[in-house]
Amino acid sequence: MKAFQPYGLLGYKQFRYLKLFALLVSLAIMSYLVLPVESGHYGGTWLGYVLGILSALIVLLLLWYGVTKRRTPRVRTRRMSRKKDRQSTSIKPIATLQGWLSSHVYLGASLIVLATLHSGFHFGLNVHTLSYVLMLIVIASGFYGTYVYLHVPQLITRNAGEESPDDLRLKIIELDERARLHALGLPDEINEIVYQARTSTHMGGSLWQQLRGYQRDCPTQSAVSRLLKLGPKYIMNEQPKLMRELYSVLLRKEKLVLRARQEIMLRARMQVWLYLHAPMAVALLAALTAHVVAILFFW
Amino acid sequence: MILCLLVQITRNRQGQPVRRESSIHGNAIQIGRGTNCKIRLLDHRVALHHATLALTQDGAIELRPEGDADVAINGVTVRDHAPLLPGDRVSIGPCLLVVDPSSVAPQILLTVEMKPEADEEKSSPPLTLAELKLSKRKIGFALAASILLLFMVLPMLPGFSADLDKWQSALPVTLNDAWSPGPLTGGHRVMGARCSVCHQQPFRAVPDEACTACHKQVGRHLADNELHRQLFKEVRCTECHVDHQGAKPTRDDSSRCVACHADIKAKNPKATVANVHDFSTDHPPFRITLQDGKDGRPLLRALQNQMPQEKPNLKYSHKVHLVAEGVSSPEGDTVMTCKDCHQVDPGGEHFVPMTMEKTCQQSGCHKLYFAEPVDIAVPHRSVPEAMNRLRKYYTQWLAETPANAAECKSMNSAANAAQQALDCAAELAQENAAESLFKEKIGCRECHEIEATDDKNEPWKVTPLKINQNWHANSVFPHIKHITTACTACHDKQGSNSSADISMPELAKCRECHVHDKPVRGKVSSTCDSCHRFHGEADVAK
Repeated sequence: MKAFQPYGLLGYKQFRYLKLFALLVSLAIMSYLVLPVESGHYGGTWLGYVLGILSALIVLLLLWYGVTKRRTPRVRTRRMSRKKDRQSTSIKPIATLQGWLSSHVYLGASLIVLATLHSGFHFGLNVHTLSYVLMLIVIASGFYGTYVYLHVPQLITRNAGEESPDDLRLKIIELDERARLHALGLPDEINEIVYQARTSTHMGGSLWQQLRGYQRDCPTQSAVSRLLKLGPKYIMNEQPKLMRELYSVLLRKEKLVLRARQEIMLRARMQVWLYLHAPMAVALLAALTAHVVAILFFW
Repeated sequence: MILCLLVQITRNRQGQPVRRESSIHGNAIQIGRGTNCKIRLLDHRVALHHATLALTQDGAIELRPEGDADVAINGVTVRDHAPLLPGDRVSIGPCLLVVDPSSVAPQILLTVEMKPEADEEKSSPPLTLAELKLSKRKIGFALAASILLLFMVLPMLPGFSADLDKWQSALPVTLNDAWSPGPLTGGHRVMGARCSVCHQQPFRAVPDEACTACHKQVGRHLADNELHRQLFKEVRCTECHVDHQGAKPTRDDSSRCVACHADIKAKNPKATVANVHDFSTDHPPFRITLQDGKDGRPLLRALQNQMPQEKPNLKYSHKVHLVAEGVSSPEGDTVMTCKDCHQVDPGGEHFVPMTMEKTCQQSGCHKLYFAEPVDIAVPHRSVPEAMNRLRKYYTQWLAETPANAAECKSMNSAANAAQQALDCAAELAQENAAESLFKEKIGCRECHEIEATDDKNEPWKVTPLKINQNWHANSVFPHIKHITTACTACHDKQGSNSSADISMPELAKCRECHVHDKPVRGKVSSTCDSCHRFHGEADVAK
């Protein structure tokens, strides 16, 4: 597995935005250490204001990415832009979505340094620190998002190939029905096991269940192991044959269930961070507004 | 033999009924999920062999459950067997078997319908987060609205209403707590959460009037009102006094002072102070304040590196008093230390003024005794008082015995006896004072400079002392903050024999410990404000 793609998201255009990140962060740290300020660092010094305004502008730019993403149909825009390039060079898109995303990641990361230096390491129970904390939550969730964006798609491909959770579920339903029919010719004990495996095996569900990716005492896994133990018990007439077929069906179901759960878990991980990242980003905009208004109101 | 036309109704995936007919016959027809049953009910809740349809001897058909299998006809549980009549509805597990009303034994038309399983009717659980129907937008907007309400709108309201401000300031958690960027300085905490005391108008800076409403006694920086107004018209109190920064009420850097004092002539051509950028590098030598003797006013400020001398009109030797073996006193040899005489005043900055009674005459030292005829001390006040004390003594002494009266050389019987006694006492007092109190190098002259006069009531005149109480009139030095340091670490005149020697430390001595306002390892960071006061005396402002 390649943990790092040299010219992918992070290395876009020969690390253009990593260089921007390094420049911003270095300048901020140097300014903080070298430039004289009155009475220690905090948001109200001239350097504090510069860092604060710069951070706020970066936040707005990062939020604008959210808007751009929703406005830009990815494939179509690229094709259209290429077509336009061929036809006329008069109109060029500002940036590709990947470029936006690369800058989004690095500019977001630079905020950790810029906003911290803006605060001068003064924190308290107030709207100012609330903005800072919300910003850190947004950035941390963004880091997680970057990580899963780079790693999880490969895992999904490796786990389930082209099959979606729905495809897997339909296959599992088929196997359940076959197991049910095979079990009908077998004693109640076996039918109960198959019934439990059919009705109590969970895939997906709530947010937590999707993220967890496994079921404790999974009835299907339990059924497979129990059938193996009960095999020697049923040797009358067609029972051995039915037991073998039933075991085979449930074994396939077990594999599909595990794959489906893994698939659901990986897809949930791909998406869940956005349920924190996006709402917190909106909340951050509100807190940032309150922060600025508070400063100006009590000038 | 029973002839049974079986109609099985199942449902396809779309939920539509599918009808399948078959013909069965036999003396007994087994019902169950087992493969050997003629009527197979494909559900695990049906036993392998659940029940049997059998023909009775009288040609009727009856239903016989197997074992304790659960079978009900028209809702009534069948225990052993029961006749099956046209129109009966038989429940076996999830299956419903209906005997057609047109059936006549031994022919029977049975319709079997499988009820759908309850769990199959359930909707499948969500497989993706999108199916959970969580709206990022709604969550975000709800959070944003809450934040704007709690942290922007509510804190703003007290700024528009004094009554609301007063009311909310008494709440355990006030509306505008969330806006406070840090704790107030100690004194300002008395205002509580009433932000409007200082922040008087929304979106306007804190005016100086908000400060001077309470701080009425703050003096100007410059004594010249017009110059002060001209140079400081753009400077607001809050530029130096920044609140919400914790305990310190004033900026602890020197940049604002240096902004003017780096080139003070550019600001005020008449300025007499030297330029300064940095305490550690170019602070000018200290100028100490000396008494010039006129009205006791400090009129001379001498550069300390030019070795000025003081003229306190006092003969005093630190060397004699601080001798290691101790000084002779009525209580024996006593080793003296600095603080025996120099005691820090309650303010912590200067020292309690020394007096003869409290300082020099402690432990019985330096009593002003008569030499003859007996040891009686005079008070250390003025020369007339000392002389009066002597005259009073001799008046009493002459009256005590005729022998004493005989000492009086100018006794004349013709004159008034009482007047003669007074004159005689005055003569004796004069003689004794000349011999003891005001003699060269002893008595009062041991410490004071004394000149003889022709005035009989005040035959000697003591030159007034000029003891300097404040050597640095334009700065502060809290001795109490340096109490952990030995006096001799800074003051090095313990071997001095003359009170003209000045024992004030020079700038280099301060720099041994103190540096500018930037932190330096092992040094004390000091700002201009550490020693100098920006604001002058309060009466300057009035």
